[in-house]
Amino acid sequence: MTAAASVAIVGIGETEFVRRSDHSVGELAVAAVRAAIADAGLTPGQVDGIVSVYGDPAPDDITSSIGMLRRFTGTAGYVPGAAALSAAVTAKLAIDAGLADYVVIYMAYGASRPGGPYTFHAKDPIKASYEMPFGFYGQPVYFAAWQQRYCHDYNVKPDELAGVSMAARKWAQLTPGAQETRPLTFEDYLASPMISTPLRKADCCLLTDGAAAYVMTSADRARDLPNAPVLLTGYGLASMDTTMHNIFTQKQDFLELGSRLSGPRAYASAGITPADVDVAMVYDCFSTSLVLQMEDLGLCPRGEGFAFANEGHTSPGGSLPVNTHGGHLAYAYLPGVVHIAEAVKQLRGVRAAAQVSGAEVALVSALGGNDHASLVLTKDR
Amino acid sequence: MTEHVPEFAPYTDDPLYAPFWAAAEAGRVALPACPDCGVFQWYPLPGRPCGHQGPLEWRDLPGTGTIFTFTRVERAFLPSGGEPPYTVVFVELDGAPGPRLVSVLVGDGSAAPAIGDRVRLSPTRTATHTLPTFALAGSPDTSAARTT
Repeated sequence: MTAAASVAIVGIGETEFVRRSDHSVGELAVAAVRAAIADAGLTPGQVDGIVSVYGDPAPDDITSSIGMLRRFTGTAGYVPGAAALSAAVTAKLAIDAGLADYVVIYMAYGASRPGGPYTFHAKDPIKASYEMPFGFYGQPVYFAAWQQRYCHDYNVKPDELAGVSMAARKWAQLTPGAQETRPLTFEDYLASPMISTPLRKADCCLLTDGAAAYVMTSADRARDLPNAPVLLTGYGLASMDTTMHNIFTQKQDFLELGSRLSGPRAYASAGITPADVDVAMVYDCFSTSLVLQMEDLGLCPRGEGFAFANEGHTSPGGSLPVNTHGGHLAYAYLPGVVHIAEAVKQLRGVRAAAQVSGAEVALVSALGGNDHASLVLTKDR
Repeated sequence: MTEHVPEFAPYTDDPLYAPFWAAAEAGRVALPACPDCGVFQWYPLPGRPCGHQGPLEWRDLPGTGTIFTFTRVERAFLPSGGEPPYTVVFVELDGAPGPRLVSVLVGDGSAAPAIGDRVRLSPTRTATHTLPTFALAGSPDTSAARTT
């Protein structure tokens, strides 16, 4: 049983996902926005709302480039990892309030440019004083310290991390356009270079240049458009009582994430339980974060996430398919937004070899530092 | 074994950071606490979550503690001075319940510590500053000879 939904996702657009793209981030964003609007069966002139995730590239640059006149302009306001999901709630509020009829949400990223995804942390004076001088810098190092403690608390051996990355590769091999489609056996995993113990390269997400976008409108308008609507039936937003300075080192409950709050909120607003989820797309910047969130979200028991993956439950043919495009580990690292696009494809039933049969309820969940967002997306019935 | 310790000069130009690095320069480790209720605040914020007001008080600590977690960094991420490998440790310091100090483990056994291992302050002198690094308790004291 699900609650009545007021809004739906009606269009998705993605660019190609590569390292060292020949295109600027602005060009990539424009291409993804155009593609999402076309997929919705709309023209730019009909779309009157825009929500940016980073504010970069600027929404006015995009709308001027494609001939779209903004009635509503919003920003997601959450830490980037979670922002592509919280943006759906911003868009819903605007649509429900009549501030816009059709809203496009976009994210563009040039992660393979110099400095990569690490540089915004270097601008934090606390990190520059209390972490960088000790070499505690770069997201793989942060998550490795979490993973080490997780392995200690739940008696997980480093080799047992393998199943998460192996599952991601299996899904990516079924996905046109995925960035990393080479097979990954257990032996391949053990040969993957160590980055920061116990995390290997295979545990770390890709670096991607690209963009993705999606279009939302009211559920009523959605039913007049060409694609089967994907309803936003539930959502949960949460922020923890930490700052971006101290989240990686000082949380009292060291392995707690906002998913402990956002998940239950999303399930409650959709009127479902974790058992109702047919397919899950969960933010996987590292195998560590994927497992911590899956446990928080009630998709597997606490401390058993790696065993769950090793047993094949999240893989093709498994009991709970997770990240059926390969996720950020193997499809592309456009945080959260490609997870929304994949959930929409699954609920439209267009994923061919990777289609989860009978998929009607998708959970999309994403972590952005101390922020977290979870969405329940449902096939229109 | 060649021992790597990052050489990345700290940002100290702020009253919230300068006392820590002044203590480190003197071979000590100090953390800030609320003078009214004694709660340690780490990292220091512009306000006090305990509700009291006024400046924090920096307290010298014995320099002993326990490893809470660690990671052996094997790839370079710092913009400069971060040649791997080196071992980052989070230390729970005796006399300061709550905070975890991010530091580097040096000396014998530093490549493969365990959570729960006891450590003691063993500073490392770099070209620009003194880093309050730690060594496993019971390992030989090599601090005086250790420079980067």
